Amino acid sequence: MRIEKHPIIDDYGKGRLVCFSYNGDEAMGYEGEPVAAALKAMGVDTHRYTVKRHEPRGIFCAIGRCTDCVMIVDGVPNVRTCMTPLAEGMAVETQDGLRKAGEAHEAL
Amino acid sequence: MKRYEMIVIGAGPAGLSAAIEAAQSGLEVVVFDENEWPGGQLFKQIHKFFGSREHQARTRGVKIGQNLLEAARGIGVKVVLGATVLGIYKNKEIAVRLEGEVRNCKADAIVIATGASENMMTFDGWTLPGVMGAGAAQTLMNLHGVRPGKKILMVGSGNVGLVVSFQLKQAGCDVVAVVDAAARIGGYGVHAAKLARTGVPFYTSHTVVKAVGAEKVEGAVIAEVGADFTPIPGTEMPLDIDTVCIAVGLSPMSQLADNAGAELVYDPAKGGYVAALTDEGETSVKGLFCAGDVAGIEEASSAMIQGKIAAAAAARDLGYITAADFETKAFGYKESLAKIRAGMFAPGNKGRTDIVQTDEGYPLSESLLARGFLSDAEAAAFPAAGIGGGGGGPRPVIECTQNIPCDPCQDVCPKGCILVGDNITALPQIAGEKACSGCALCVGACSGQAIFLVNETYEDGYGTVGLPYEFVPLPQKGDKGRALGRDGGELCGAEVVEVRAGAAMDKTPMVVMKVPVSEIARARFFRPESEGGI
Ligand SMILES: Cc1cc2nc3c(=O)[nH]c(=O)nc-3n(C[C@H](O)[C@H](O)[C@H](O)COP(=O)(O)OP(=O)(O)OC[C@H]3O[C@@H](n4cnc5c(N)ncnc54)[C@H](O)[C@@H]3O)c2cc1C
Ligand code: SF4
Ligand code: SF4
Ligand code: FES
Repeated sequence: MRIEKHPIIDDYGKGRLVCFSYNGDEAMGYEGEPVAAALKAMGVDTHRYTVKRHEPRGIFCAIGRCTDCVMIVDGVPNVRTCMTPLAEGMAVETQDGLRKAGEAHEAL
Repeated sequence: MKRYEMIVIGAGPAGLSAAIEAAQSGLEVVVFDENEWPGGQLFKQIHKFFGSREHQARTRGVKIGQNLLEAARGIGVKVVLGATVLGIYKNKEIAVRLEGEVRNCKADAIVIATGASENMMTFDGWTLPGVMGAGAAQTLMNLHGVRPGKKILMVGSGNVGLVVSFQLKQAGCDVVAVVDAAARIGGYGVHAAKLARTGVPFYTSHTVVKAVGAEKVEGAVIAEVGADFTPIPGTEMPLDIDTVCIAVGLSPMSQLADNAGAELVYDPAKGGYVAALTDEGETSVKGLFCAGDVAGIEEASSAMIQGKIAAAAAARDLGYITAADFETKAFGYKESLAKIRAGMFAPGNKGRTDIVQTDEGYPLSESLLARGFLSDAEAAAFPAAGIGGGGGGPRPVIECTQNIPCDPCQDVCPKGCILVGDNITALPQIAGEKACSGCALCVGACSGQAIFLVNETYEDGYGTVGLPYEFVPLPQKGDKGRALGRDGGELCGAEVVEVRAGAAMDKTPMVVMKVPVSEIARARFFRPESEGGI
C-alpha cells in the first residue's frame, strides 16, 4: 500500500526503517510516521473492536479526533495510533473493548 | 502566568498569516497548534491553487505552506506544536495542553484560526474499517505516502471530493465512482473534468446506501435519490470497492469562540455556526478575532487575507500601527479578498442551483454540471474551447467555462494570447491576432488543467493534442496508446510525439499525442497501451 512513485511528491521525509511488533508478530515501518500509517501500509485495517457490540473500527479521521484508531501500544490502551509516531521496538496490539484481543477468551 | 501580546490558535494559512502580519508590526506573537505538523490543511494540498498572482495562484498548497512557515520563522514568530487550546476564559486567558500538562497564558489579542472539521454522514456499514473522511485519505497518501485503499468510492462532489479523488488517482488508486445526492456537481467544473477524462464516472442525484463487509469494507451499494434526497427503491447498484471516502462538507470549529463568550450566528452559507464578526474579523468580545475556515468555510487564499486583516486590526488597537496605516493596509487586503470571493462559486452563491449562464451570457454546460465533462457540442459553443478552423501551428484551446476566480493562464502567456482581464472571474478568451509560440507554459500553469495545445497541421491527416499529465509513469515519446474523450471513453489510437516536462511546467508535464485530425476536437487524454487505466 506504500506509494512507490508519485507525480508530485518526491520525498515523504521518512525516517529509517525500524522493526516493531504487531500482535506479537514482527513488522516493519518508518520511524516517526504515525503507527496507523505503518499498519495501513501492511494492509491492517482493523485497529480495535468496540466494547459492547464487538464491531471492528479502523482509521476514520487520521487527525486524532474520532478515537476509532485506538490500540494498545506498549501495553497502554486507548492510544490514538494516527497521532502516535512509530518507534523502534514498539509493541502494537489490537484493542478489544478495553482489553487486548483474545484476552477475553483466555479468561474463560 | 506567561503573557503575550498576541496568541494565535491554529497554524494553518489563516493563523500563520495573522502571526506574520502581527510580528511585522512589532507584536510578540505565539502560535499554538494541536497538530505535530504546522500548516493546517496546506501540506495536504499538492495541487495548484486558483486566484491571481497576489493570491499565489498556480502555486501548490504545500509550497504556500512552506513559504508561510519560512516567513513566520524568519520574523521570529514562535510556533508551538502539539499544543491543544482547551478553552478561552475571561480577560483573554487561555488554557493550553502541552506535553500532558495544562498551562494558562494570557494575551492582549487572540486570533482563533482553528479551521474546520469534516462533516460525517451515516449509512449502513459506515463504521466499518475502510470508511473514512476524505481528509483522512488525503493525510494518509499525501503526508505519509500510504494508499488509503485500492478501489475507492468518493461520496461528495464539492471541491474537496473532486480534489481528493484526483489525488487518489495520482497515488495510484482506482476511483470507481464519485456520487453526490445533489443534481449538480458541487465543485469547479475544471476539477470534475480532469477526473472525468481519466474515466472516473460521476453519479449525481445518487447516494451511498450501504457499505458491505464483515471485518472491513468489501463493497458498497449506491442508489438514485428522489427530490427529497431519499433513495429510490429499485435503483440500487452494487460497486466493487474497498474504501469509501466521505467528502460531504466542512463545519467551522466555533467551539473556542463560543466558549470565550462570543456571540454565534447560524449561517448555512458559512457552513454552520460561526462567531458574529465585524469586517475586521473581530467577535463580540473585544480583542478576540476569528480568521479562516472557522469564520466560514472558504479557501486558503481567503483565510490568509482574513488572518492579515485581523492581525492588522489588533496591531492598531494595541497602538502598534496608526489608524491611517491600518486603513491603507485593510483597503488592499479587502480588495484582494473581494477578487477571490467573486464568481458563481462565491461563498454567497453556495447551494444556488438557478445559475444557468456565465457572466458573459453563455449557457452553462449541463453535461459538465451533471456528469463532469463538457459534451462535444457544448464545448464548441465556448469561443475559447471551440475548434474553429485554426491555421497552422499550435494554439491553445481553453475548456474553462465557469466564472471562477482565476487568471494564471493570462499571467503566464508571454505572447499575450490569453485574456481574462482585470475581473479574474471572467472566462479566458483567446486573442486571435496573437501568434502562439507553443511554449506550453499555459498548459502547465492552468490550475484547472483545462488548457490543451492543438495543432491541426502536424502531418497529412494527423494533428496533435498537447494535454496536462500529472500521473506516473509519464508517457515517453514513441509510446502508443488510446486517445480518450472528455468522458474518458476511448476514441482512437494515439502516439506520443513529444513530452514537455521542464522545471517551468512545475510538475504538470504536457504530453503531446498524435491523432487523426477528425478527433482533435474531442481527444483530451492519453492512455498508454500497457495499462487498463491509470
Ligand atoms: C481537499 C481540499 C482541497 C482544497 N483546495 C483548496 C484550493 O485549491 N485553494 C484554496 O485556496 N483552498 C483550498 N482548500 C481549502 C483550504 O485548505 C482551507 O480553506 C484552509 O486550509 C483554511 O485555513 P485555516 O487556517 O482557516 O484552517 P486550517 O488549515 O484547517 O488550520 C487550522 C489549524 O488549527 C489547528 N487547531 C484546531 N483546533 C485547535 C485547538 N483547539 N488548539 C490548537 N490548534 C488547533 C489545527 O490543527 C490546524 O492546524 C482545500 C481544502 C481541502 C480539504
Ligand atoms: S503555448 Fe505559450 S504562447 Fe501559446 S498560448 Fe500558451 S502560454 Fe501563450
Ligand atoms: S483556464 Fe485560466 S482561469 Fe481557467 S482554470 Fe485555467 S488558469 Fe484558471
Ligand atoms: S483515526 Fe480518528 S483519532 Fe485516529
